[in-house]
Amino acid sequence: MDTAFFLVTSLVKVLIVLGFVLLGVPLIVWMERKVLGHMQDRIGPQRVGPYGLLQTIADGIKLFFKEDVIPAQADRVVFFIAPALSVITAFAALSVVPFGDTVRVLGRDVPLYVADVNVAILWVLGTTSMGVYGIVLGGWASNSKYPLLGGLRSSAQMISYELAQGISLVSVILMAGTLSLTAIVKQQEHLWYIVPQFFAFAIYLTCGIAETNRAPFDLPEAETELVAGFHTEFSSMKFALYFLAEYANMMVVSAIAISVFLGGWRGPFLPPVVWFLIKLTLFLFFYIWLRATFPRLRYDQLMSFGWKVLLPASLLNLTVTALVVALGQG
Amino acid sequence: MIEAFLFAMFGAGAIAFALGMVFRRNPVHCALHLVGVLLSVSGMFVLLNAQFIAAIQILVYAGAIMVLFLFVVMLLNVRGETPLLTPGAAKGFGFFFALIGFVELLWVVLSRGGDEAVPERLPALPSGFGSPAEIGRVLYSTWLFPFEVTSILLLIAVVGAVVLAKRKFF
Repeated sequence: MDTAFFLVTSLVKVLIVLGFVLLGVPLIVWMERKVLGHMQDRIGPQRVGPYGLLQTIADGIKLFFKEDVIPAQADRVVFFIAPALSVITAFAALSVVPFGDTVRVLGRDVPLYVADVNVAILWVLGTTSMGVYGIVLGGWASNSKYPLLGGLRSSAQMISYELAQGISLVSVILMAGTLSLTAIVKQQEHLWYIVPQFFAFAIYLTCGIAETNRAPFDLPEAETELVAGFHTEFSSMKFALYFLAEYANMMVVSAIAISVFLGGWRGPFLPPVVWFLIKLTLFLFFYIWLRATFPRLRYDQLMSFGWKVLLPASLLNLTVTALVVALGQG
Repeated sequence: MIEAFLFAMFGAGAIAFALGMVFRRNPVHCALHLVGVLLSVSGMFVLLNAQFIAAIQILVYAGAIMVLFLFVVMLLNVRGETPLLTPGAAKGFGFFFALIGFVELLWVVLSRGGDEAVPERLPALPSGFGSPAEIGRVLYSTWLFPFEVTSILLLIAVVGAVVLAKRKFF
């Protein structure tokens, strides 16, 4: 009976998270176009549905029915796997994010996360590092110049920024003494980790934006030099999958930032899930705001910023945190 | 029951991927099969109650090292390279090393002579087994010397790579 209950609730939670991402991504794209529009003194989409809300749905349906072009010299199998890999890794990372407090269903406690892995943070870092494959393989399998260059750029960028990102999370892990996201959220009842670990938060967020290949770090798809980067040759649903993965990855980075630094689902008055959604929306707004504000970095600037500024800064932050934690215990 | 099924799945996966890695012609496909092997092994680590090592396996080997491998393979375009050995010599070497491996395995199996029967019930795992804290404690106490030696070895490799990269020989 308990096993059956666990299976059913788990399945429902998986469906909720999956549906949330699949429905959330069109909404984020709509928000992006609308916000960008207003920031640039335009009105953005407004024709399809109220306030243009159905615009991205219409775009999605259009992509679905488009012809799926595969380049003649492409590596067909890898060309097929690459976009799927991008999406799978993004979804896998979301499975460990706690999005609410425990709720009671039929007299039983149901925790609101898909899986409480005791090494959740490592799991997230691992899946995001697997996400590099989707991009680098997509670039390679197209067997074409610009995608290959875009894929290489993007994977070099992701590998470089992953380091600083991981190290900035380690300093919080040192303070928390656990790798489990649910436990970290539980510990932030009185003080969010953004207060003692503001530097780690800033480094994490910068790296997160670079990880997701978003402006101002969107060099992999710099139109003026690389056409569309790694996904130049992808059309129809394969392109849509890359698109979905990019936005799902934005959600992952935001959700981890919320859980690790901003108290997760905690907040006064409103129900936990609502707080989680509010914080998530703010983060995604921040992403769009950045895109409207900053010009793209040059490639060498990007690399030297990652290796010569962010990495040493995160290491310094880690050293100081380790000293403080050690002195506090001793 | 579920555990046995999962073990069979990961085990079969690891073997299939390993075979694919050896037999595929395209080096990029080989590298991808190796990633498959690493992921399957990481699944087995989870079954062995070693989640931390499983996560590290994905993060470090499948995620970081194999991406670099793939990078190098893609950039070098190995397909155009002339092979180091003639096919006959390669087969000879392969057979020789396989024979050594086989004899070694045989020797290990025979020298044990089946005196270690598999216990009916395995002893319970010590508390905290496989947890990051326990691994850290063991690593920095019992295995401190090998750990430090490994770090020196890696340092030598890094310095060596820098020296080789600096030397302009082409």
